[in-house]
Amino acid sequence: MSSPAVDLRASRPRLRLVDRIADPSERVLALLLLAPAALFLGLIVVYPIARLVYNSFFDLRMSGGQSAPFVAFENYALALTDKIFWNALWNTLLITIITVIGALLVGLGLALLANLPYRIRWPVRLALLLPWAMPLAFAGLIFAWFFNTDYGVINDWVTRLGFAPLQWLLQPGTAFAAVCIAIIWKSSSFIGLILLAGLQMIPRSLYEAAEVDGATRFQQFREVTLPLLVPSIVVALIFRTITALQTFDIPYTMTKGGPAHATETLAMLIHSTTIDYGDIGYGSTLAVLMFIVSMAVTAVYLRRLQRD
Amino acid sequence: MRRNELFTAGRLRLIAAAVVVVNGFFPAVWILLTSVKPELELVRKPITYLPHEFTLDNYVQVFRQQPLGLYLANSVIVASASTVVTLLVSACAAYAIARLRLRHRDLILSAIIASSTFPLVTLLVPIFQTMRAVGLLNTYPALILPYVVLSLPVCTLVLVSFFQSIPRDLENAAMIDGATRFGAMWRIVVPLAAPGVFTAGILAFVNSWDEFLLALSLNSAARMRTLPVGIALYQGEFTFPWHIIAAALVVAIVPIAVLIALFQERVVGGLTTGGMKG
Repeated sequence: MSSPAVDLRASRPRLRLVDRIADPSERVLALLLLAPAALFLGLIVVYPIARLVYNSFFDLRMSGGQSAPFVAFENYALALTDKIFWNALWNTLLITIITVIGALLVGLGLALLANLPYRIRWPVRLALLLPWAMPLAFAGLIFAWFFNTDYGVINDWVTRLGFAPLQWLLQPGTAFAAVCIAIIWKSSSFIGLILLAGLQMIPRSLYEAAEVDGATRFQQFREVTLPLLVPSIVVALIFRTITALQTFDIPYTMTKGGPAHATETLAMLIHSTTIDYGDIGYGSTLAVLMFIVSMAVTAVYLRRLQRD
Repeated sequence: MRRNELFTAGRLRLIAAAVVVVNGFFPAVWILLTSVKPELELVRKPITYLPHEFTLDNYVQVFRQQPLGLYLANSVIVASASTVVTLLVSACAAYAIARLRLRHRDLILSAIIASSTFPLVTLLVPIFQTMRAVGLLNTYPALILPYVVLSLPVCTLVLVSFFQSIPRDLENAAMIDGATRFGAMWRIVVPLAAPGVFTAGILAFVNSWDEFLLALSLNSAARMRTLPVGIALYQGEFTFPWHIIAAALVVAIVPIAVLIALFQERVVGGLTTGGMKG
């Protein structure tokens, strides 16, 4: 009589443990499911940022190991007097401003054109998707070929129009312009897609009402389309700005930052400082400065977003 | 009257469509045309538009003289592996955020999304250091691990909105019928969320396929290069072998172009969910 009771008592906790593993409480399960994401973000985002800031206070040119001398703010002082750093920062900001505005305008144009009532939709949709899906590095290579001085298609058009061919990628001003054009082409299609989705959410009835009120096409655009598109525009702006600040692939494949640093961005300077020249301390300092710039820009946007 | 005849609504639409299509396709078409011209035709002036002489030599060369096949394999391995891992990690996180009792749900989602605003370049230096320290430079994991983080935010976002669209009752019914929570998740929710998982997968794959900076910095050894790095480094010091580069670009663009052409609507849906909510 007594032995089954003992068995039961002995087996019940074990059962419960198995049960608990097979069917944990919701909260435990939630934490378990979030753990891998947390692990990845911790290892590849949080830890690197901490290490980056730590690095920036050391002279890591030679060793990269334990005995690296602590140099406090020397790297930062160096950066603030480094003409190449200021040049790269200026180029980055200029590229950001030009390509954000340019890609927004081109993207808006593409979205408006793509939003017309076509019977067959896929060619237009694919035309917006293809530039988005193409690697930035490939866009850079293709545009380098476009802007080739001797055999590029752009100079062919220039000469057909009766002008002298330009040495596009070989001169600072035109090289900068060519890089910006390539970036705008590559990024405007993603903005076009986002704005197109925004346009498609605007109810037709609003346009019908405006038409009844005698509004012209342009008035409809200004009074109905634009105001209702603002949320999509803000989203597109934030995305574009964050990526523009990190510009690397297109100038790297088009000009390698040249001629004479004319198209060198912060990202390219950080890359060459650390990977090509092995100066991890100074590279980290530049990266911290870039991090501050980009967080500042994001913060400004988010403030705006909250206010609206 | 005449103006109206010339610019009918239908014709204007056609012109508008042509503008969008030419803008989107011209660079790809131009590189395709370049790739089937013989090397000598590319350095002749005035330049030719349609090839005067058609050749597939460039494609033969790109596989024989350049290790394009190797780069292709590297890209496929890295992009596939990182896509699978990203999907597992983000599906788990998204399920917890969308479905389970959880404190600070919004804060957790925001934190995951915020990580995508950190510039990758600033993470490059410490990631490079760490990978070098643990001997992972020029290995597949060196790229796979960071690429998971690259796509984690957008995939989580897409999957959260898919999970939220699946009625809770289905899951509850399964659990009443005796399924555990895990069972309900894997047998009910995951299959129903398959379209979302698929969309997230395409986005992750494209992200990894396209990434350049980390691939260039972490895996620069010739045998470990992915397609963008391999092709970008074809350029010699002073010469650009354009016929080779063009053929290689076509080979590298085709897989991704086919992928997005087949699943256009899913991709657009995924991108705009990511965009609208982010």
